[in-house]
Amino acid sequence: MKKYAFLLCFTLLFLSACKKETPAQLYKIEAKQIITDSTTKEKQSVTDVINPYKKQLNEQLDAVLCYTSSDLTRTDGALESSLGNLMADICFEQATPVLNKQINKSADFVLFNYGGIRAPIAKGNITARNAFEVMPFENELVLVELTGSKVEELLNYLAVNKKAHPVANITLQIKDNQYYNVHISNKTFDATKNYFILTSDYLQEGGDKMSFFKNPVSLHKTSYKIRTALIDYFKKTDSITPKLDNRFTYAN
Amino acid sequence: MQTRRSFIQKTAATTAFVGLGGFSLSSFNKPNDKHITILHTNDVHSQIEPLPHNHYKYPGLGGFARRATLVDTIRKQNPNTLLLDAGDIFQGTPYFNYFGGELEFKLMSMLGYDVATLGNHDFDNGIDGFVTQLPNASFDFVSANYDFSNTVLQEKVKPYKIIIKNGIKIGVFGLGVELEGLVSKRLYKETKYLNPVEIAQDITRELKEIEKCDLVICLSHIGYYYKNNPDKVSDLILARNTKDIDLIIGGHTHTLLPKPTIEKNSIGENVLINQCGKSGVYMGKVDFYFSKDGSKTAKGKSIIV
Repeated sequence: MKKYAFLLCFTLLFLSACKKETPAQLYKIEAKQIITDSTTKEKQSVTDVINPYKKQLNEQLDAVLCYTSSDLTRTDGALESSLGNLMADICFEQATPVLNKQINKSADFVLFNYGGIRAPIAKGNITARNAFEVMPFENELVLVELTGSKVEELLNYLAVNKKAHPVANITLQIKDNQYYNVHISNKTFDATKNYFILTSDYLQEGGDKMSFFKNPVSLHKTSYKIRTALIDYFKKTDSITPKLDNRFTYAN
Repeated sequence: MQTRRSFIQKTAATTAFVGLGGFSLSSFNKPNDKHITILHTNDVHSQIEPLPHNHYKYPGLGGFARRATLVDTIRKQNPNTLLLDAGDIFQGTPYFNYFGGELEFKLMSMLGYDVATLGNHDFDNGIDGFVTQLPNASFDFVSANYDFSNTVLQEKVKPYKIIIKNGIKIGVFGLGVELEGLVSKRLYKETKYLNPVEIAQDITRELKEIEKCDLVICLSHIGYYYKNNPDKVSDLILARNTKDIDLIIGGHTHTLLPKPTIEKNSIGENVLINQCGKSGVYMGKVDFYFSKDGSKTAKGKSIIV
């Protein structure tokens, strides 16, 4: 047992006249933090309880769900990436029937954040463990209705931020902190219209400084986790072909 | 940390007061004194196994099987030991996603946890998901400021629990963080959040004056302190605005205190606040020593660090 950092020992002195009702007198407190490291042996009976769960968990996490012919990463394009595109496309596809059923609406486009992709997927078999590594958080999909001017703020954010934030069902170009040629669902962006954007609850609540998502016209929480959407898609798919399709690029 | 000067001043003041009071004080740990050990964790977040060896901060640390050995060793040294948890037992590894907290509760029961409180993540499978796992927990949950009266947790979670160890009466009550904005209402349902400070004032009065507890411990998941929002209720604010709490065991903010904080309460007495990070990497240990002589009662106290 290794004891860490501090040993705080202080003494409480009680000064008092006599009263009979309290039986015990606290006079000293000692406190410390104990680290749990490899110098402490595992208790076998506890390990024995964990092991069957561990085995079952690993079987489920490592079961092959589908296959990718090449590496999926967030860094293989300038403003888009194979993994970002896949994640945004999967969520768009998986959320469509959910939104339809829940509120009879659909998303116009998808926006996530680059930082939200937490690990790459190496070429070969894809498992649920991959989904947990890519998306370890419990973030859920939400549908945010924004005015055209708030969408302009969103586009400005992308133009100034210049990161490969994953998008789907939208194409745009940026140059010198400006955005150009914005098409949503294959139609030219119209700043007088409201748009429905699929994103995560984390970003809607202001994560990654995406403040344009705050105080939306309307907000629908699907309770559908991004990770669950990934796993559901992997289960129904045989093989993934990573793609960069110039959805988000620098203008010439 | 107290300076030597203030140490001497306090000692002098103490001596003077004792002179008036007319009896002697002992600060030594006599072999026949009563000794209560409190072990505590917080924000273990389903960390069943030790953290992975490539963890950025705590590679290979933590784990229930090792913690079991530590707890056994300490209980052998002092059978009058309580093991407590300040919430966020759930969520953080796939063990929770796949088994819903079953293993967390089973292991905590094996380790002999006595009392725990609920953190916001303990609602992650809904209040129904929590109640489903309760049969796996041989320990009790306490929460004084969540009103569960219109929920499935009614009667299952009590405001506090009183445990008597070696004749020392210990009251343990729980406080939870505001759920709105943190947890979906769909998950916590009709759970009502009540002001932690007001509730703590009521509960401590009950524990101290009616139940006559020798030791009052608060299991708090309200967070240690919010630097960017200093008025938000936290353990520091709780400590300053209540009396009769001896120890606040905190959680939620994942604060690893290098040593426990000593804060003055509303009547100028000292309260100890401890919190030990997350994932079960550290376990807090607080030892309380009581004199065997039952004829004296604490009126004023001074702490010497």
